[in-house]
Amino acid sequence: MKNIIVCMKQVLDPEIPLSLFHIDTEARQAIQPKAMPPVLSPFDENALEAALEIKDIQESNVTVISLGKKLTKAVVSSALAAGADRLVILQDEAFGEFNTYLTANAIATAIKKLGQYDLILCGLQAADTNTGQVGTGIASILGIPCITAALKVELDNDKVRVEKALPDGYEVIEAPTPVVVTTTYEVGALREPGVEAFMSAAKKPITTWNARDLGIETGNTGRFTMIKMDAPAHESKCEILEGSSSEEKAVKLVTKLKEIKVI
Amino acid sequence: MSPVAANYLGIPGYVVFWFLFAIALGFFIQRLYLLIRLLKLGRPENRSDRLFYRFTSMLAITLTQWCSLKSVNHKDLAGIGHAFMFWGLILFVINYLIFIGLGAGIGLFTILSSSAFETVFFSILDVAALLVILAMIWVIIKRYFIKPERLKRKESIGEKIIQPLLITVIVSLMALHYCIEGFGYAAYGIPDSWPFIGVSFAHFLNGSGISQDGLATVYRSLWWLNYIILLGALVYAPRSKHLHPLFSFSNIVFKNLAPKGSLRPIDLQKPETFRISEVNDFTWKELLDLYACTWCGMCHTVCPAQLSGKPLSPRELILSLKEHLLETGPDLLKDKTVTVPAVADEKADAEPDSALAKTSKALIGDIISEDGIWACTTCLACQEVCPSHNEQMVKIIDLRRHLQLGALTEIAREPLKNLRVRGHPWRGSMYARTDWAEGLGIKIVEQDRDVDILYWVGCTGALEDRSLKVTQAVAKLMKQAGVNFGILGEEEMCCGDPARRLGAEHLFQMVAMNNIQLFSSYCIKKIVTACPHCFNTLKNEYPRLGGQFEVIHHSQFIADLFKRNTLKINQARETVVTYHDSCYLGRYNDIYKPPRQVLKSIPGVRLVEMEQNRKNCFCCGGGGGRMWLEENTGQRISEMRLSQAIDTRAQVMATACPFCLQMFEDAAKTREGEESLKIRDIAELIVEALEIPRDLADKA
Repeated sequence: MKNIIVCMKQVLDPEIPLSLFHIDTEARQAIQPKAMPPVLSPFDENALEAALEIKDIQESNVTVISLGKKLTKAVVSSALAAGADRLVILQDEAFGEFNTYLTANAIATAIKKLGQYDLILCGLQAADTNTGQVGTGIASILGIPCITAALKVELDNDKVRVEKALPDGYEVIEAPTPVVVTTTYEVGALREPGVEAFMSAAKKPITTWNARDLGIETGNTGRFTMIKMDAPAHESKCEILEGSSSEEKAVKLVTKLKEIKVI
Repeated sequence: MSPVAANYLGIPGYVVFWFLFAIALGFFIQRLYLLIRLLKLGRPENRSDRLFYRFTSMLAITLTQWCSLKSVNHKDLAGIGHAFMFWGLILFVINYLIFIGLGAGIGLFTILSSSAFETVFFSILDVAALLVILAMIWVIIKRYFIKPERLKRKESIGEKIIQPLLITVIVSLMALHYCIEGFGYAAYGIPDSWPFIGVSFAHFLNGSGISQDGLATVYRSLWWLNYIILLGALVYAPRSKHLHPLFSFSNIVFKNLAPKGSLRPIDLQKPETFRISEVNDFTWKELLDLYACTWCGMCHTVCPAQLSGKPLSPRELILSLKEHLLETGPDLLKDKTVTVPAVADEKADAEPDSALAKTSKALIGDIISEDGIWACTTCLACQEVCPSHNEQMVKIIDLRRHLQLGALTEIAREPLKNLRVRGHPWRGSMYARTDWAEGLGIKIVEQDRDVDILYWVGCTGALEDRSLKVTQAVAKLMKQAGVNFGILGEEEMCCGDPARRLGAEHLFQMVAMNNIQLFSSYCIKKIVTACPHCFNTLKNEYPRLGGQFEVIHHSQFIADLFKRNTLKINQARETVVTYHDSCYLGRYNDIYKPPRQVLKSIPGVRLVEMEQNRKNCFCCGGGGGRMWLEENTGQRISEMRLSQAIDTRAQVMATACPFCLQMFEDAAKTREGEESLKIRDIAELIVEALEIPRDLADKA
């Protein structure tokens, strides 16, 4: 029986329409609008799919861990409907202030608390902050290897075989378990559950831990501080080039583009 | 002289008569019983409501032959032929019951023969038989010489046999009627002048020189021949492939009385109500459809999927399922304990000797391909045109539910997931639901509950680029008319129609319950929408989930505004317009007049109709969730319909549905050349005609 852990982050919907997206510059946070519920970070969904594909072919136990200040049950428990066996929610007011180091530390502590694990899967990077540091951070804290940007993940008896994406292809890497692997979208889209999967998801166990349950310290801002968060001012200038004929306008356009060094 | 009064080889005629009848009836009942047991294999379904209405409705439809006559058009008059054949044969059935049953069988023969009743009745039969024979000639010419498209199919041996056999039997029975008349009268006494043909024939026979005994013998022989043919028909009828004369009547009794195009209610908690792994997972009523099919092929020739080259034919679905039921049914009857297998391993896990393992044909794959299942646009043309009131489309949706709810397909995965997560199927839309309303001063119900009407915008109207203009046009008209309305804004969730039509019933129920709760919490009573799909769902499908509201389509609403002079257009606009009926507005809800009234409210508009309009309008191809699926086989349905519009030489093609609008705008882009045809929603045309200020009209 293999034990697989998948880390999934709840994020502001990356496909939110522009008119609904606002930043609270004082709180240094994007505002979660009531109209568009949060979602699971897309690369994390791919990570879960990788776990479920392993589970399709060998007996495995898939545990999903999600950390946040206030998680929406309907959103995170959709991982159970997709096929995960257990959900562990790490929820605490203090987690809202966390940076990547503290997040990785909290999750690593939870993983140690869970005990046995063969493979830890994370998304390549979260869709809101896009740092890509938590997966590698967890590996570093636990003292285990980490392979990033996986296209394909295979789990054997005591090792993983991973196809890792390169700019011009991929390389195949093997590593002994336990190991952390972060996945890209090429691993496959997360399967949509059928109706029975939705029904049975309600019966699967959900564990909730806060900072005290984990025994970690909060209030410590860790290794870096966010100074400012803002949306860039959107400025658009439109200059219409006049000309007596299409040819003349074309010449003017090319000249202008050369001027501003576009071509 | 009654033919049964004589003795035959020492046995009294009555004995022979009843003995033969008993045997024939026995065989008839034996086979009928099996056919009914096969129906009972199906899942339960409640169609026993309003039995009196159901029965009288069936009598009205069948006795007037409206079932056949409703599809008659200048290209296909076969319905008329069937009507005459039916009326003629019904009279003959009555004839057989009275004159053979009561006459010969019970012994009223002497009283009946030469009575005034017989004279009148046989006179009518003389004419009826002639009409039936003419109908049979029509059948022969049509089936063997003209060979219309709708009758062309690959037939099994049984199907090939029954057609000429039936024609021969019917013609023989009609001929025998005249012969029995003629020889009977010639032998025993000719009446004065009526029945005309019988009497003429009898006179002819009299002059032929045959002795009275000879005539009487021929008469008796022909009478018994007639009787044996009838008994043979009784035995063979339920064993033949031509089951519709036996079952169409009951199928019409049990037809759908809920709103047109209603789907089967299922219980998501009970997978056995929506899993379809074998033919007996359909309900008994769905199986009865299979018997009632007349093979007329009308559904085949009106199906837009079929006409555009997709691997889907409603006729073939029904007839293949029927064959499958008759083939595997007897085995299924024995294996009554076969339970519906687990989702992942359908046939593989079945017991080696069970019916399931032995089924040579898989429902999905052999009887109908997966491509065929998803090709349906749910336009309802097949169900509208069927003389037996079959529900072909409903079975296709049942198969879709099996695939979606069992997570056996990846079809429409993205739009359905988007609906689940974001409340709408338009993934990739750049808009928020209220972007179209910016600057228009529209009430949002959450902030101001004082509204008389809720304007239900719909996902397409709020999130699809082209459709935003229509939404704004409708809002502008309502404001101009001083209507006190509001919108749900960001709280609005998809009505659920795409989910439901794609088989994802659980997502439909999720969004529907959310919307119903919203309506209740805001005390909404009256809803206006510009989308026929939303209209149909809110009006006809929400009540079953507890949401009963007054729902009005914008064509009805605007037509009413004009009727009451709240809106009035003074300036004439000389335009030639053709109107495209949306399937969900037209066939589903019989709304044909209001959109045309709206168009005619513009002075100077000349309305030209496409050849296929109203009840037999041609689909745009966007229904049934197909708006979100690629169309890679055959011709594009939307392009076919656009060609029909262009053929009318109209300047504008008017629609009243956002799906139709999208489909035709896209078709106009991919079709080469013709860009002169403008495609507009009726609301946009009214706004243009009223010349509502450009700066408000253009905001998008």
